[in-house]
Amino acid sequence: MRKIGKAFYTVGFVLVFVLLGSPFSWAQSNVSVEASLSQTTIYTGERVSLSIEISGNFNNVSRPELPQFENFRLLSDNPSTSRSYSYVNGQSTVSYTYSYYLIAQKKGEYQLPPVSVSIDGETYATDSIPVNVIDQDDSATSGDSSGQPDIFLKLEVSDKKPVTGQQVITDVILYFRDGLEVNSYQPVPGWKAEGFWKEELENTGRPRAESTVLNGIRYRKARLLQFSLFPTKSGELEISPYKIVVAVRSARSGNDPFSSFFSGFGSNQREVELSSDPITVDVQPLSPTDDATYIGAVGNFDISRSISTNNALVGESIEIKTRVRGSGNIPLISKPSYDLPEGLEIYEPQENTRLNRRNSTISGSKSFTDVIIARSPGNYTIPAKTVSYFNPSRAQHITTTLEPLTFSIDENPEAIAASGNSGEIPVSPITGLASWIVISPNPADLLEIWWFWPGLIIPLLIVGFAYWRKSYAEKMQTDTAFARSVKASDKAQQRLKKAIEISEQGDIKQAYNLLQKAITGFISDRLNMPEAGLSNQDYIEALKEQDIEENLVKNVRMLLEKCATISYAPNTTHAYLKSHVGLAESTLEKLQKVL
Amino acid sequence: MPTNRIPKIFLFLFLFGGLASLSFAQQNAQALFDDANEMLQEGNYQQALSLYQKLEGQNTVSGALFINMGISYQHIDSLGIAKYYFLKASQFEETEQQAQKALEFVESRFSRQSAVLPKLPWDIATDWLQEHIGAKNILLIGIITLNVGVLIFIAHWFVQAYPNVLRIAGLSLIGAALLIIASSFYTQYISERYSKAVMVTEKVSVLEEPTEEASIVSRAYEGYTFTVDHRQSKSEQEWAYVRMSNGLYGWIPNSEILIL
Repeated sequence: MRKIGKAFYTVGFVLVFVLLGSPFSWAQSNVSVEASLSQTTIYTGERVSLSIEISGNFNNVSRPELPQFENFRLLSDNPSTSRSYSYVNGQSTVSYTYSYYLIAQKKGEYQLPPVSVSIDGETYATDSIPVNVIDQDDSATSGDSSGQPDIFLKLEVSDKKPVTGQQVITDVILYFRDGLEVNSYQPVPGWKAEGFWKEELENTGRPRAESTVLNGIRYRKARLLQFSLFPTKSGELEISPYKIVVAVRSARSGNDPFSSFFSGFGSNQREVELSSDPITVDVQPLSPTDDATYIGAVGNFDISRSISTNNALVGESIEIKTRVRGSGNIPLISKPSYDLPEGLEIYEPQENTRLNRRNSTISGSKSFTDVIIARSPGNYTIPAKTVSYFNPSRAQHITTTLEPLTFSIDENPEAIAASGNSGEIPVSPITGLASWIVISPNPADLLEIWWFWPGLIIPLLIVGFAYWRKSYAEKMQTDTAFARSVKASDKAQQRLKKAIEISEQGDIKQAYNLLQKAITGFISDRLNMPEAGLSNQDYIEALKEQDIEENLVKNVRMLLEKCATISYAPNTTHAYLKSHVGLAESTLEKLQKVL
Repeated sequence: MPTNRIPKIFLFLFLFGGLASLSFAQQNAQALFDDANEMLQEGNYQQALSLYQKLEGQNTVSGALFINMGISYQHIDSLGIAKYYFLKASQFEETEQQAQKALEFVESRFSRQSAVLPKLPWDIATDWLQEHIGAKNILLIGIITLNVGVLIFIAHWFVQAYPNVLRIAGLSLIGAALLIIASSFYTQYISERYSKAVMVTEKVSVLEEPTEEASIVSRAYEGYTFTVDHRQSKSEQEWAYVRMSNGLYGWIPNSEILIL
């Protein structure tokens, strides 16, 4: 019991301390100290008001400690002060404003140093303020005030050489001279920025007019609207003129620079349509990168990936969420594609875009949710994925690797009970030895098979040869002259052979008779002459008509004469006949070539 | 003598080496197949499939391999891919019957069935020739018939008996051979130009043009079969020009189908 009581008191003490301490710390953290100048572009010798505004929930505040202002003269150490009090949603806020007047002494561009203030014992400092002091004489001589309009509209872009997809902040700024009061403005609808994707930015509060000097003329300028433009292609792109209708009237007094914006209607009010000049932006292409990793994002982003669960049942859905957060072309970002293992059913990814249009930039997040369902139990791994985006401020592609995601799927007992045996496939797996074939990835062309061309050409050759043989046989049977001519040589050879045989038997005269028949038969067969009834002279004449070589005719004549006169020769020998047969053979061979 | 032996040794080494490497490839395939089958029986379908795919990637295949791949895909509920592998298994004589049974089962599981237009007789004949004989074998038959026809025709010039019969028989065989040869080339042309394909994703639109913005011809669902026209599809890398089984033509992304 004692122990419990002691613990109870300890916790109570801590709670009281926290509850008492928290308003204090909260109040401290809600104090703001801001310094502002009535004009940031001023002439030498001109007076300018420096205001230090302290607001928040505090108890004690000291007078601001002013630094040493170089090139400015402080008119008085005693500021004019004002105080206001507000109570909103149960929260009270006090606001103190200290105003000092400074006179610019020397032309140049300066930084007005910070002013420090002590609040409830803590010291706060304002930001330094840039000031441009110009010489009144110089601006009067260089400026041509006659051609300057009293009121005009201008588009100002944050970057005139962006890359494709880069966020370009475009301000619609109204310039108007002192002496004019702008009561209201209305944008003309239908402004298109061809080649850009545009988003209008939100700005809290009403436009504030600031003093500035253009070509020696004092203007006041106010930012009416602000857009984020994202070029969708490279090259020179023109931002078309922005149009606006403003209600203006001439003011009687222009001394107070803040009084003449939305200051109310007057009697000499008129409406004017203003159009800005177009602006050309030279959009640079993105440096080349790996298309597989680039997700189309240009800006400054943080990319992450998460899985809804690491363990699920078969048939249960699992969400893979990919989130891209940061500032840039968020709506144009595309989903990285993942290599999912087999056996997963994938559904259309869901996209969710959240845009924040405040703080003069488009920021926010875009998330992609892939819904997957596993159809079988097991361990699955979605491999790591490298994604990249382009960072314009660093002018390079930033690569991020999303870690691999693993999850396990268990069998769903309810699904098993519901499916029962009726859903079983009626085929069992084939185990054991299988007959394997090796398939060729490229089937052979029929014309390239080795036996194709021989298979076609050989029968054609056979047909040709057979046709020639058939024609030859037919001619031998029907054309006697051709048949005699073809057979002449063989016939002559047989007769010569026979002549030698008979000569060997001793009948020389009969042998010469056969020799003569061989010669005359050969000539008559080759020249298609009658087989009988012709004299030796007829054969000689026939040979001469064929324009045969003289020596050949001479040999034939000699042989025929020898055959005719051998009957009168007393001692003719076998050897003698054999020499004549040899001569006859060579002569007939020569005759066969020319006849 | 040694010079005579060298060519013989080379021939022996060539034949032995070739046969040994073929045999080793088949043994390796069988071992891998056995491992995959164990995984399949243990219910590790993903691991089994990765091993089966390895075999398929080596171009060493069998009807049993495709049956088991189909069963694995059926278990992980990829019915379109399962159908694709059962169709492949049906092309093997030893697994044709089992594949048909499995196909009937898978077809009954698809949520949507496609209307099927009957094929033309000529297409049926061409498909039969392609599946059962093959263009190469048809060509071989044609060449042999041509040679026999030529010989018989020549015979009628020289053989006295029945010259007219021989002439007519010869000419008929030559004519038939030329038709067979022509049909082999036609079969080859058809098999090279057209392929069967199975849709393996859940749903896709068949479009009039190969662009996402084109108007829709029809919607296709998992398990639908198409005839892919490779000649028409040649101009588009990411798309295939298909004829649906109901006779409609259109373009479909290649990623949605598996071509047999």
